[in-house]
Amino acid sequence: MSQESNDIRLLLVVGIAAMLMLFISLLLIFIFTQRKKLQYQNQVQALQDIQKNQLIEAAIRSEEIERHRIAEELHDEIGAILGAASLHFYNVKIEDCDESSQTIYQKGRVLLDDGISKIRGISHNLHSSILQEFGLNEAVGHFCGKLAHESLIEINVNLDNRYPTRAAQNDISIYRIVQEFINNIIKHARPNKIMISSIYQNNYLDLTINHNGNGLTQAQFEELRFKRDGLGLKNIQNRIILLKAELKLAQQTDDFSINISVPIF
Amino acid sequence: MFRIFQIVIDWSEVWALLIPIPILIHKKQPAMIKSVVFYVWIAFFINLAIDLTWKLRNYLPTAFNSNNYLYNLHSVIRFFLFSIFFIKLRQPFLSTIKKAIPFCFAAFIIINFCFFENFFDYWKLSSRLLAVEAILLLFYTLQYYLFKINDHAEVDIFNSDFWIVTGLGIFVTFNFFIFLLYNELTIHLQNFAVTLWNVHNISFIVFNLFIAKGFYESREQ
Repeated sequence: MSQESNDIRLLLVVGIAAMLMLFISLLLIFIFTQRKKLQYQNQVQALQDIQKNQLIEAAIRSEEIERHRIAEELHDEIGAILGAASLHFYNVKIEDCDESSQTIYQKGRVLLDDGISKIRGISHNLHSSILQEFGLNEAVGHFCGKLAHESLIEINVNLDNRYPTRAAQNDISIYRIVQEFINNIIKHARPNKIMISSIYQNNYLDLTINHNGNGLTQAQFEELRFKRDGLGLKNIQNRIILLKAELKLAQQTDDFSINISVPIF
Repeated sequence: MFRIFQIVIDWSEVWALLIPIPILIHKKQPAMIKSVVFYVWIAFFINLAIDLTWKLRNYLPTAFNSNNYLYNLHSVIRFFLFSIFFIKLRQPFLSTIKKAIPFCFAAFIIINFCFFENFFDYWKLSSRLLAVEAILLLFYTLQYYLFKINDHAEVDIFNSDFWIVTGLGIFVTFNFFIFLLYNELTIHLQNFAVTLWNVHNISFIVFNLFIAKGFYESREQ
């Protein structure tokens, strides 16, 4: 074999090897830098998620504080004023007045009592003292009891007693979610039967709301919560994020169900 | 056994293209990689003609029993279609050079085949053409990676264009020196040149596997 043939062969082998080394090193650098970028982006994403959750938490906490403050003002200030007004009303001597004045007086008393009762109702709605004192199950039961009306709507509540009475700080958020869903169901779905049940196991609270109204599917919920006027659904979603919970809406023949699965730490 | 292996490798320039073809029939490809789709179809017919000419050379008239001009044609078409592919990626990096290269290559083809070589040379394919094509495609490939290394926008690296570019990179990396020295090898080391063409064929199979992966990963953008 001639020297020239050997040279060509050597050049070929060295050339291919050099090209391969160049290509492989660039490819490795490329993959390595992209991995670094991916790691960095994941870190940024994680930080953004933490920040977002902190903002949601702060918003929800401040909302609760504001609700508490308004509830206290209503109960302690306006409730007290109306209570005092009622006391004065009851002490008015009306026997000497004519029949028309007596009727007006009676009407005024009824309206005043009604006002006091409404103020108490709003105050309790804004800040559930039952939730604070007796826990989530009692608060949900009490809330549903107030809404149920024998001839219009039947609400059955079957909550797991194993759920600790004062389990978590998150109870207020779970309660608000249930409150918002029940209000929405009554307002929009118009059912005549609602069933609320819960199962507590493996540090998870599975809360299910079933109703026979015209409810929402998961897809409809996803669509509605991005609409500007869907404040209630946005609040629900924010609280779901805060709780790190899972929300599933589904339709089973004539019934609709809402399932909330909340990890309890 | 070796004979069967040799037949399979000889025909690999045709059957390798049957790897990406079913995927592109099954899955509509985005406009960005349409030029690669064209390449696959055109390469399939050219390579079929190349192998049929080679296998039936004893039955064909002398004027038509050389397939070297088909390799030249394949090279020209491959270069222009992949140039379109790289330009269509719209990477704002060396844009002017990338757009100028096809014109330079066209000028090179005209000058080379008017004054120095014969495009329809009966005895040999154009080593110069294939080597220039390979080095220019390698340049496109390397600039793709360099752009991506400095790019901060995208992190999903294993997308369709990555697979296609990597397949092309592997193919031209292996073949640049083979193309460059092929005419010399056929003169001095004919048997070695024939064996070496198997390397070209195997790298072509790998190239097609990557193209198939690229087609599989593609989505409308």
